[in-house]
Amino acid sequence: MSDTIVKIQVTDGTVTDFKDKNLLNAWRLSFLGAILCMAYLVFFHPDPYMRVLKFIPDGLWVTFKVTFMSITGALILGLVTGLGRISRNRFINLVASTYVEVVRGIPLLVQLFYIYYALGRFLRVPDLLSAVIAMSVCYGAYMGEVFRAGIESIDKGQTEAARSLGFNRAQTMFLVILPQAWRTILPPVGNEFIALLKDTSLVSILAVSDVLRRGREFASETFFYFETYTLIALIYLVITLLLSRVVSLMEERLSHYER
Amino acid sequence: MSAEPIIRTPIIRMEGVSKFFGDLKALDNVSLEVFPGQRVVIIGPSGSGKSTLLRAINRLETVNQGTVVVDGFDIRSKHTDINAVRMELGMVFQSFNLFPHKTVLQNLTMAPTRLKKVPKAEAEERAMALLAKVDIQEKAQVYPAKLSGGQRQRVAIARALAMNPKIMLFDEPTSALDPEMIGEVLDVMVNLAREGMTMVVVTHEMGFAREVADLMVFMDEGKIIETGTPDEFFNHAKHPRLQKFLDQIL
Repeated sequence: MSDTIVKIQVTDGTVTDFKDKNLLNAWRLSFLGAILCMAYLVFFHPDPYMRVLKFIPDGLWVTFKVTFMSITGALILGLVTGLGRISRNRFINLVASTYVEVVRGIPLLVQLFYIYYALGRFLRVPDLLSAVIAMSVCYGAYMGEVFRAGIESIDKGQTEAARSLGFNRAQTMFLVILPQAWRTILPPVGNEFIALLKDTSLVSILAVSDVLRRGREFASETFFYFETYTLIALIYLVITLLLSRVVSLMEERLSHYER
Repeated sequence: MSAEPIIRTPIIRMEGVSKFFGDLKALDNVSLEVFPGQRVVIIGPSGSGKSTLLRAINRLETVNQGTVVVDGFDIRSKHTDINAVRMELGMVFQSFNLFPHKTVLQNLTMAPTRLKKVPKAEAEERAMALLAKVDIQEKAQVYPAKLSGGQRQRVAIARALAMNPKIMLFDEPTSALDPEMIGEVLDVMVNLAREGMTMVVVTHEMGFAREVADLMVFMDEGKIIETGTPDEFFNHAKHPRLQKFLDQIL
């Protein structure tokens, strides 16, 4: 057996290493490139790029709203699911595991359609809300697995120490285990955030006017397909890069203690 | 310090306790009484069930048969608030188990402020006094990762004491330490014994046992083989297995 453990992590998010101190790293290159590209197009070809850019902000706001609300929902669902998966109660455990199994087996787009039309038919839930629910349910299952793994990574001695001081199970989880597990959980959860942000573009298929849908509306009216989608790609790139930066700043803030 | 002829009630009473891990009998019909102020040292080869016995006292290990009564509470009863009983039982582990995301001071104040609603300032004052007692007050604001093993174990003892327990349980507190750090931890434990703390200690430190134990307990294969004073143990061991065990480690 070799002593070195090679860890390969495949992520859907960005793989930029922010500890890279070089002036020219992948993140800076992509970010500056995207900004300069956008500036060039808007400045030198205001028609149609400036028109696209003026048409999109409403959609940007919707994309942010869907992303933020879905992240919140997915975190809560993920925590509940993760706790359910490690529960000693067999019924709770089975419910949580089945949820993960079912959700992981259905494409997000199908889930979106399903929840959108199912909720729309029986409950008259607003479009945006049903999109958020669908995204949360889907990503909650993935995050549940991340939470479970994070909680299980904490040494059993921590639980024993907390319990022997007199803390009950919930206090032990929320005061001792989760604050430590969060450090293990944050990097993969951050990647899920980024993947989620990108996947919000799927809600444009429903009647939710996010960035992509606004773009489609503009393009189908003006026939500037190439120009519109160029700009939209650049906009997604910029906000994704910004989010990945935020996540890495959070990771740095969490490393104030050693294990 | 031999047993006094006064009638006292035991603070820990275990009777006919058995614990199985599958086919393995970790505890086999064990009975033990610990009186207030008594120092009990449990010795025995590894796998003899001494840690399991200790952990059965605060129900970190649930037993299959028998009675465990601590401070008047039947530990095995569903009606017993185990968390309340555990607050009276300080526990020190072989692997320290300090909370790495909290400073040394916070490790000490967390349980009293949360569980006994002690005001923060008061808890901190008491924590600093305890840290002074284990001679590590200068590390109050440091995270546990920055401490040596001996320092960590002293903090762990102080953390358990911060709850003002009636009994202290020690599960091989020096076994994970480098040899040069064992002394500083044993010193703290000897001082604690001198102050009259009720202690149950699982250890391989025979010098410590000789110095502080009122009662020695020798376990093997899940059973208590022999009990007695340190003098009886080290000078007049009766059971051949105990004689053999002492020959091997002394």
